[in-house]
Amino acid sequence: MSFDIELILDSIPKMLVGIGLTFELLFLSLALGTALGIFLLILRISGRWYLAAPTMVYIYIFRGTPILVQIFIIYYGLPQLEFVRDSIFWPILKEPFGCAIVALSLNTGAYLSEIFRGGVLGVDRGLTEAAAALGISVRQRFIYITSPIAIRLCLPAYSNDVVSLMKSTALASTITLLDMMGIARTIVAETYAPYEVFISVMVIYLVITWAIQRTFAWIEKRMSRHVRREA
Amino acid sequence: MIKKIIHSLIATTCFVTFMGFGTASAETLRVGMECTYAPFNFKNEDGKLMGYDVDVAKGVAGLIGADLEFVCQKWDGMIPALLANKFDIVVASMSITDKRLKKMDFSDTYRISVGRLVGKKDSGWNLFDDSGKPNPANFAGLKVGLERATTYSDWFENVLPQATVVLYDTNEALYLDLVNGRTDMIMTNPMKAHLRFLSKEDGAGFEFVSPQIDEKKYFGIGVGIGLRQGNDDLKARLNGALKTLTDGGYLEQYALQYFPFAIH
Repeated sequence: MSFDIELILDSIPKMLVGIGLTFELLFLSLALGTALGIFLLILRISGRWYLAAPTMVYIYIFRGTPILVQIFIIYYGLPQLEFVRDSIFWPILKEPFGCAIVALSLNTGAYLSEIFRGGVLGVDRGLTEAAAALGISVRQRFIYITSPIAIRLCLPAYSNDVVSLMKSTALASTITLLDMMGIARTIVAETYAPYEVFISVMVIYLVITWAIQRTFAWIEKRMSRHVRREA
Repeated sequence: MIKKIIHSLIATTCFVTFMGFGTASAETLRVGMECTYAPFNFKNEDGKLMGYDVDVAKGVAGLIGADLEFVCQKWDGMIPALLANKFDIVVASMSITDKRLKKMDFSDTYRISVGRLVGKKDSGWNLFDDSGKPNPANFAGLKVGLERATTYSDWFENVLPQATVVLYDTNEALYLDLVNGRTDMIMTNPMKAHLRFLSKEDGAGFEFVSPQIDEKKYFGIGVGIGLRQGNDDLKARLNGALKTLTDGGYLEQYALQYFPFAIH
């Protein structure tokens, strides 16, 4: 196998043109997914079965099917329905970018709500019981006592999910978006050199993953200052 | 005396050989094709070999006075089989490329390599003038669906950079998104577009919105009959026959059995 170093050096800058789109996909769907995750969490722990049950079905479906299938159903499947094309959502679903954001957000929202639930359940019951005894309302207990501890507890799992979401953005290239992966696939189709090009794009993704992990390590450290002993 | 006999022997041999080539039934042309590539070469329900390639092969053989023997050969082994003398000519929709010309020889073309735009009926975009030249300004802002790294995307990026190009991985996805309204038009092989889309229910509201575009720089020369190198005599006869078929309107006649337009 011949290995063309020059092609690697040549294609990395070309693929970096798509890094903006990769980040847009990542941050936008992370923000929407986090909001959705919190919303689902509240429904899930509301204690009302008619709110919790549909949420569980939703989570089961989105965690139980491949995200590629979800992207294809949203991108190619939904427009087959007449009423979808006539609806107010069509301007979003018409654009491949909109479809990618919708799919990634819905998917990551399902995962995140489970991560958040794990955090909430990990909070010592004694704390909320004590707060209840002091006459603090349910809402205040959730915001001021449960949340800060739960966030700290679920941060490692959250950072894992951000990394996997970042990797999932590469699937957007299957619905015509020219993110880094989309550009890489075009270069491969033109040069017939899959090794060089895909290894280059791999290196870029690894660097991004490293940056995400460092960022979260720093946040975790900062948030647990109070339990760390000073030397 | 012996010399004389040898001479006459050689002369007789030559004469017989020459006669052999001269008579119609003595020469058999073995034709390689896939036999599975509808509508160019394929077997119908009765197992009968049909298609545009088959018609061309029969037409050529009739004109040069040879019998035909069809050999079905998988595509990836087509050129090796030709070189290994499993058959004499390839009539299998094989495009003439520089790479192939290094190993084999081709006749003149009997089918063009072209692209054609498909869009909504009566869109009135005025994309091409009467002589078939594109009006670049009218392409501005239009979304064009293309398959990744094809001759079509090459042509668009170089000739009409005003248009917004959207790249797809498969031919089917092109039609889906055209119907869904995500792209305004697509460019593809007109034969494929006709068979897979325009002749089907989904393609009812769509039509060709451009003439056939065949800029050789991008689309190549076309499809020819393949043969081994060094067969200049056969090549000349094939070319002569193809010219007769073209000029006599036979190629168009063959094409119209399968498509509503000529493909030469």
